[in-house]
Amino acid sequence: MNKPPATLHDNRLLLLKLLLLACVMFVFAWGLIPVYDALCRLTGLGSLQRPDEVGSQRLAATPLAPVLLTFDATVQPGLPWQVRPLTRTLRAVPGEFVRVDYEITNASNRQVIGQAIPRYLPAAAAEYVKKLDCFCFAQQAFEPGQTKRFPVVFVIDKNVPAGLDSITLAYTIFDVPGRS
Amino acid sequence: MTAIDSALQPAHDTAHGHHAKPSGIGRWLFATNHKDIGSLYLWFAFSMFIFGGVLALCIRAELFRPGLQFWQPELFNQFTTLHGLIMVFGAIMPAFTGLANWMLPLMIGAPDMAFARMNNWSFWLLPPAALLLLLSFAVPGGAAAAGWTLYAPLSTQMGMGMDLTIFAIHIMGVSSIMGSINIIVTILNLRAPGMTMMKMPMFAWASLITAYLIIAVMPVLAGVVTMVLTDRHFGTHFFNAAGGGDPVLYQHIFWFFGHPEVYIMALPAFGIVSHIIPTFSRKPLFGYTSMVYATSSIAILSFMVWAHHMFTTGMPATAQLFFMYATMLIAVPTGVKVFNWIGTMWQGSMSFETPMLFAIGFICLFTVGGLSGVTLSIAAIDIQLQDTYYVVAHFHYVLVAGALFSLFAAVYYWFPKMTGRMYSEFWGKFHFWWSLLWFNVTFFPMHFLGLAGMPRRIPDYNMQFTDFNTMASVGAFCFGLGQLIFFANMLHSLRHGRPAAAKPWEGADTLEWQIATPAPYHSFVEAPDLEVGENGRIDAMHGGKHH
Repeated sequence: MNKPPATLHDNRLLLLKLLLLACVMFVFAWGLIPVYDALCRLTGLGSLQRPDEVGSQRLAATPLAPVLLTFDATVQPGLPWQVRPLTRTLRAVPGEFVRVDYEITNASNRQVIGQAIPRYLPAAAAEYVKKLDCFCFAQQAFEPGQTKRFPVVFVIDKNVPAGLDSITLAYTIFDVPGRS
Repeated sequence: MTAIDSALQPAHDTAHGHHAKPSGIGRWLFATNHKDIGSLYLWFAFSMFIFGGVLALCIRAELFRPGLQFWQPELFNQFTTLHGLIMVFGAIMPAFTGLANWMLPLMIGAPDMAFARMNNWSFWLLPPAALLLLLSFAVPGGAAAAGWTLYAPLSTQMGMGMDLTIFAIHIMGVSSIMGSINIIVTILNLRAPGMTMMKMPMFAWASLITAYLIIAVMPVLAGVVTMVLTDRHFGTHFFNAAGGGDPVLYQHIFWFFGHPEVYIMALPAFGIVSHIIPTFSRKPLFGYTSMVYATSSIAILSFMVWAHHMFTTGMPATAQLFFMYATMLIAVPTGVKVFNWIGTMWQGSMSFETPMLFAIGFICLFTVGGLSGVTLSIAAIDIQLQDTYYVVAHFHYVLVAGALFSLFAAVYYWFPKMTGRMYSEFWGKFHFWWSLLWFNVTFFPMHFLGLAGMPRRIPDYNMQFTDFNTMASVGAFCFGLGQLIFFANMLHSLRHGRPAAAKPWEGADTLEWQIATPAPYHSFVEAPDLEVGENGRIDAMHGGKHH
């Protein structure tokens, strides 16, 4: 009725299975990276770096109260960039096409590739700024010392809540290492 | 016949000469006996508990009043970080592994743990890991100061103290995985005839499920700290936004480990209490089968709730709702357990020796911690309470009054079986009431501090938080002092305690109480034939040999 007592062989077999489980879970931790990436894509999180579509219904039929837009840029310490928005502030009516230029300089004496990441203040404003063109959609290559001007074209969604009368658009430029 | 037996006896002894009790330092260094290794684990855990406790008192001293008194903020952050890491990986987890080592073979009728030499290894990896953590205070930049969660990007930026911490975590991870493999193989393969799975004592069940959790999540922690290490030194950018990585990814992987870890520290406590409550109620455990299933479902659910630690990272509302409801669901099996413990006590013939007091204290205070956990699981409320002292209050209710109280209960409960002597009941009870009082004085005000908005992990605070912080600090110092009573009681009773009976507790009915006291050095060298009832109740034992 009782099963025979376990032999040393049985014990070692179970040991190996459990070790295998531990190894699988170690690999699983690294596997979470692509899963996380895929989930972010799927759910639309981290979608700030894709062009938006602006249908005609997004454009204002009647003039709305203008929104105060502020442009800013920051560079992480130790990175070779100088970034300057050529327009600091402007007022735009929701539905109106807005174009501002940014000037980016590679202050180092080597070739670098940069990637800009946009941020919005308040963060909730992100979904109402419909970017049609932006240098943040792609990585940008720079020669040593090169300065480039980039446009940002966007529309403030006319569905912007009434209380949201001031939006700051800020870019942070990062190095993309390992490429030249 | 007798003559032949006695003639054979010496030869038998020589043949098994290596089974003799070794002496000197070698007994401990090369220990393969599960009782010796269990004792090593328990002593190690206690010394780490004292070390982590001193760090906690350094924290409370600074927070006694507003302003900076004793430490600079950098050092304060190192204290909070190391206090957490040491208590989790150095005190609570090794203490449960130690108890499992000591008690499992006795409870299921096994001669020893399945892999005795690996057992030696899994213990002796711990002191070097602890030493690395201790050493990290002395390196440039000091110890890790990112909080015990070691969130990136803090952890990717700090000095070499972080490298030592990462290495220590690797070592402790290997140690606990080896310990867990030993526990699983012992339970699955070495049970005595008659000790079937669904008759096994709850502590064995809890240890088995905990061991599976450890094997499933410690490698994930090892993986994520390895990513931090490669980010720090090998130019990867897993968590560095500058390189296309994402610091939030760290939190996802960490909490995939971190939440099951909470249950790694809670399930063995449930197992211990499920022995002590029936013993001192003189009634079988109410709803044994539902206890087993509740423990298993808590373990499974623990893998699905990790993001409730991250409600403020900007998750979609759907995800917040999922993790919120999944978290609340855990309250159901936990409620089943609490109900069963109360059902066990119901109409029982109860007596209140020290282990029982700690077990009842556990049920009351763990439930308070569970309740504040349900509050925190509500995403809308959590956004207010995230990283406040409310969270600190919550997890100290489940870890100090939960895990630690259950450990005290276990040590008092099994002390006679381990040492052959009784502890002092008076000082045991004193230790309980003293700890209960000052624990609540320390941690209950933290609920109010958190609700009022005091953030955790800060060395200085606004004037309005002064009164409750002063209370908490006084409570903490008294609580800490009380643990010296425990230490003195144990130390004194070890040598001078009154000799204990084989079964000092009237209502105890599991296998470890069927053998001599103190437990023979080599117990169950021949497996006994058992007739077992639920929760490991021994109805009859035949055979079984010790020497």
